[in-house]
Amino acid sequence: MRRRRLVFLWVAILLLAAAVALMLYGEEPAPEPPEVTVNFPRRLSPNERKRMEGRRVLPVPAATDAGVQADRPRDPVLAALSGGGKSAVVVEANAIRNSPVGKLLLDCLLDISRENPIDQLKREAGVDLLQDLDRVAMTDDGVVISGHFANARWDDLFRSRASSNRYGDSATLYRPLAREVTLPDGGRITRQPEESVAVWGDQMLLMGDNDDAVRAMIDRVEGRGAVQPLLGESQTYGEIYGVISAEDLARIFPTDQFELAERFKSAASRIEVHVDTSSDVGIVANVKGTDPSQVEDLGKSMGAALAVARLGAQREEEKELAELLELANVKPDGDSFKLEMAIPLEMLEKQLSRCGERRREREERWRRQQVQRGGADAGG
Amino acid sequence: MRTTLAVAADLMREAMKRKWFLGLAIAITALLVTLGLSLRLDVVDGALAATRLFGKVSRGMTIQAVDVALRPVLEAAAWVIFYGGSVFGIIACADFAPKLLSPGRIEHLLALPVRRWELLVGTFLGVLGLSVAAALYGAGGLTLLLGVKAGVWTWRPLVAGLLSSASFAAIYAAMLTVSLWARSAAVSAAIGFVVFVSGIAAGNRHTLIPMFEPGVGRAIFTGYTMPFPRISSLGSAAASIASSQALEVRSLGSLLLGTLVFGAAVLALGAWRFEQKDF
Repeated sequence: MRRRRLVFLWVAILLLAAAVALMLYGEEPAPEPPEVTVNFPRRLSPNERKRMEGRRVLPVPAATDAGVQADRPRDPVLAALSGGGKSAVVVEANAIRNSPVGKLLLDCLLDISRENPIDQLKREAGVDLLQDLDRVAMTDDGVVISGHFANARWDDLFRSRASSNRYGDSATLYRPLAREVTLPDGGRITRQPEESVAVWGDQMLLMGDNDDAVRAMIDRVEGRGAVQPLLGESQTYGEIYGVISAEDLARIFPTDQFELAERFKSAASRIEVHVDTSSDVGIVANVKGTDPSQVEDLGKSMGAALAVARLGAQREEEKELAELLELANVKPDGDSFKLEMAIPLEMLEKQLSRCGERRREREERWRRQQVQRGGADAGG
Repeated sequence: MRTTLAVAADLMREAMKRKWFLGLAIAITALLVTLGLSLRLDVVDGALAATRLFGKVSRGMTIQAVDVALRPVLEAAAWVIFYGGSVFGIIACADFAPKLLSPGRIEHLLALPVRRWELLVGTFLGVLGLSVAAALYGAGGLTLLLGVKAGVWTWRPLVAGLLSSASFAAIYAAMLTVSLWARSAAVSAAIGFVVFVSGIAAGNRHTLIPMFEPGVGRAIFTGYTMPFPRISSLGSAAASIASSQALEVRSLGSLLLGTLVFGAAVLALGAWRFEQKDF
């Protein structure tokens, strides 16, 4: 009797399994998941660690200076950025150039200029941006460009535009000359640009709002100025990395997210950003604040905003945006939270696809003209 | 088998005496008669030239083949038969099983030379028979109406009706089985609606799953919806068949069979419970 009851139970289980299999086979197929190969930069990779160690060209501070200069990075770019500012972003231009995203951006850059600016710079200054450029760092004080500039002819480039003088151990300062400017009413005045440029050795070009800013950067590199490191060596991972202040970040929020931008400004004190562009673009932002409860609330608000945006995109059938937001998430961690987002390469390709068309059309026209000219010469 | 069918027939006789089903039959008949009297289709050489409903001519119509022009009507009818029929069936049939198991009646039934599982299956088949009859009556009436009015004779609404019955079969199996644990019409109806709604969600699971954050929530939803019959998929298939559109599912046969096997699985569970329950 008991055995007969158990038969019913086993039949139920087997039939249920069969029903599940039949229904899984018969239902409409699941949509293909988007092919997104994204690396979220979370720590130094072995290659990045090697790169970081290779950039330690500055000497170790002497024992007498150790107390003052103990924090001075040995990477000259990081040392130049250690001025106590609130924002500094470094772009590994050489690494990005060779990535799929870099090629798209380069197409755009060349597309907007009538003449190829890279060739122009190579001709005028002996600097090949595609080969010699390593990093571009932007900070509150100015811009630092590092690379291999041994063949650069800076004097030729700045000759008629700036006066030069040596500064410190290895720097040459270029101060723009005053120039006459024609006013709209036809009058003319003389303007003295405040911006200043300096070259440090054969590896850095520094640009600042004024002489003092540039001198301060050189002093920090050469060990004379006080340093307040903003970016440490262990944070130099990703193709783009840096620290952004909450005020600067709030400026890039869309106007309909004004409240969220304000909450960012009040709760966040430091936002560390890392971007990987090796395939699809992966962005990791580590947001820290002084008040853990405010930061936690901010993290939840960000998570909710992303979820609402994702639902909105699905409702509006904006498939690509929905896929992008599917890859976004917020991970709370005490007095900070980590925001991860991905931008599929396909989406970037679509956005930037028009770039390069105009340049390619120009090159094709020029090539046809050359061919016609060659034919005409041969006929003549 | 004969005993099972006798139980089914007994249930159907009882159902006929109920006002619910009489009301349903009258309502379907009234709807068909109203439509028959008020709808006038001017068909010329197989093309629908004009439509009048309650004397008013439908504007914005183009002259097109009558079977093409009637597709939206057939699709709408399929949706009403499918979903309306399921909801009505859940409410109207919720107390059959609790009544079967009521004290006095169940002892009388068990005293008869009828196996317990035969009682269960017979009750199920009786309700299923009612569902099929109602669905075919409504769909058949519509088919007759359109055939007479427009000369369009199509079996498609009947298929939609049968799909509706197949879907209801899975729902009622769950309602019947749960009555063996809780002899309550309310609980039975509640479970019916749970299976109904879960089945709609299961049919749309590939749309709903991405709305969950990856993690435990998504895993739970995916696992929960996996065993339920794809009711919304069957409903869409019924509407697509009625309106001669392409099916969106990979295999309707597999879905249909899966739904019926689900019902059989739940009934087997009910039989297991029925066999060991003391009355």
